[in-house]
Amino acid sequence: MQEQSEETTSTITGPLLHLGCSNCGARLVVEPSMRTMRCPYCAAPSVLERPPVPGVPEPTFALGFTVTHVAAREHVAYWLKTRSRFTRTGIRTARPGEVRGVYVPAYLYSVLAHSRFRASIGENYQEQETYTTTENGKTVTRTRTVTRTEWRPLNGELSGYVADVLVTASTGLRNEELEALEPFDLRGLARYTPALISGWVAEEPSLTHEQCLELARKEAVERVGGKLAQFMPGDSHTDLEHQSRLEWEALDVCLLPVWVLAVRYAEDAPPLRVLVNGQTGEVVGKAPLSPWKVTAAVLALLLLVAVGYLLASGGGR
Amino acid sequence: MSTATPEVAPCRRCASALEAEDLRCPICGLMTPPRAHGTVERETAKVVRCENCGASVEYSVEAKAPRCDYCGSVTRVETTVDPVEQAQAYLPFTVDPEAARAALMGFLGKGGFFRPSGLAREASVESMRPLWWPAWSFRAGVDVSWTADSDAGARRSDWAPHAGRTRFDFDDIIVPASRGLKVKECEALAPHYRRDTEEREPRGPEGANIERFEATRSGARRTVLETVERLSRERLQQGVIPGRRFRNVHVAVALSSLYTTRLALPVYVLAYRYRDKAYRVLVHGQEAGAVFGEAPISKWRVAAVVAGVLLLVLVALLATGVLGS
Ligand SMILES: [Zn+2]
Ligand SMILES: [Zn+2]
Ligand SMILES: [Zn+2]
Repeated sequence: MQEQSEETTSTITGPLLHLGCSNCGARLVVEPSMRTMRCPYCAAPSVLERPPVPGVPEPTFALGFTVTHVAAREHVAYWLKTRSRFTRTGIRTARPGEVRGVYVPAYLYSVLAHSRFRASIGENYQEQETYTTTENGKTVTRTRTVTRTEWRPLNGELSGYVADVLVTASTGLRNEELEALEPFDLRGLARYTPALISGWVAEEPSLTHEQCLELARKEAVERVGGKLAQFMPGDSHTDLEHQSRLEWEALDVCLLPVWVLAVRYAEDAPPLRVLVNGQTGEVVGKAPLSPWKVTAAVLALLLLVAVGYLLASGGGR
Repeated sequence: MSTATPEVAPCRRCASALEAEDLRCPICGLMTPPRAHGTVERETAKVVRCENCGASVEYSVEAKAPRCDYCGSVTRVETTVDPVEQAQAYLPFTVDPEAARAALMGFLGKGGFFRPSGLAREASVESMRPLWWPAWSFRAGVDVSWTADSDAGARRSDWAPHAGRTRFDFDDIIVPASRGLKVKECEALAPHYRRDTEEREPRGPEGANIERFEATRSGARRTVLETVERLSRERLQQGVIPGRRFRNVHVAVALSSLYTTRLALPVYVLAYRYRDKAYRVLVHGQEAGAVFGEAPISKWRVAAVVAGVLLLVLVALLATGVLGS
């Protein structure tokens, strides 16, 4: 592979090493002193040097790490200990392994959203109702108060800024994982300088601008929907529909601090990837369930029900 | 606003005023353009080699700044700070201390029926402190989307749903930032200030203090936004939402051209003592007639009135023969 010292964008720091993981596709940028073989995302030893990709946008913002790697490891150790009993053997006693701090690229999106909505609004009212019932063998007529709902159609608008939408720009970190790591405190935002990520592994945006824009628009419209549900008057509502027009979109690359840990809990299983929000300490991971333990538990429960039924029907005789 | 011209160009998306250090617009979230070097921007860390020993510098999580592994020296990183800021405009005292004292005496002497008769004579003024209290003043255009239930158009239920969108303009709304004064006191003082008298330096009697702002920039913005929402909600219920009774009033605001000024407003805080009890009175710094405060009530006079009323009731009952028979 050809060594390329010609710099693309993010570079006052001297030549950076551009690495790529052939397993998960992450595109990493590190200082030459931090040359690594193991991918911080997927822990595969398949990191190779690659030529810099032209046209990669330079980050605009970065959020610094405020959780130390010691604290991150403690958060993960606690998280492992508190997993469900049905996780695979070894998980709850596993020791978190190597901790890597990665600056994960994300897009920070904001927009002015104009929405039109239509809904059915339920307004409650009370009514007296007569009914017949049987009392002491006689049929009698009584009255009672019942609450009924009157449905009225409502059309309206909602205009407002949707700021602070974060979507992943990394193939290494799925958007669901990012959502689970959120929120990040964006008040700590710094304008990106290469000095900020010096000494860390940073990833280049590997998803295209269009892919990220689509994700961000979807999330913004979802947020408008959530806001509208809170916005409805009446005692209840149904059939809420809305259409949003997005104006004045802005999309900036922002580096987010994430600790990535690989937890080895069994010889034969691939390591479990656990992520820690480098700012809040929030832990995100998917501890695999043990099919045996779950089956055993279901069987035991069935057995218990069967025994209970037999006892109950036996006692009734 | 005569003073405090914005040094930074407003937000391109919502036209709100921006502070020099803002990386994003606080109202709409739009990125601000990076500033030219050597202007307002704080010194940024562009050194990755340690300036001290020449080693490569590492970012220290604890210090949130790049720290050198070898000599421990730290280079600074540009981050958004959340500063506590001071007043941009001062309103001068136009009521002098003598006039303020006279205003207090007038306030004590005038009183109502329940004030003790010798109050103005017996009260001793313990202290009189001229000071500037902090407040934000903002102007903004607001695009308000709303929904609500009201009695207008109601059928079987008492309520009918309504929705709408309207625009409000807020001009020179004062939001108190004082810790020393109660919100009620600030609200009473605020309308009597002459905004066209703003100056860049404090001007008033000797020894006048300045109460400093204690809220951070982000705290200030939150307070202003809450005020915008509260005022919008109030205005909506004064003729915008049809009907006379309302419930579930939901408001969503999109601000444009928000411009906030930090003000220092003059007031005299007077403390006087009457029969071993301390009372506080505020005399407006720009209008001697605006006096707000506490005054003792005469227990004797209250007791006399109560006794008188009871007597009257008794007499009336006797006269109508209710008790007599
Ligand atoms: Zn990988
Ligand atoms: Zn803006
Ligand atoms: Zn050094």
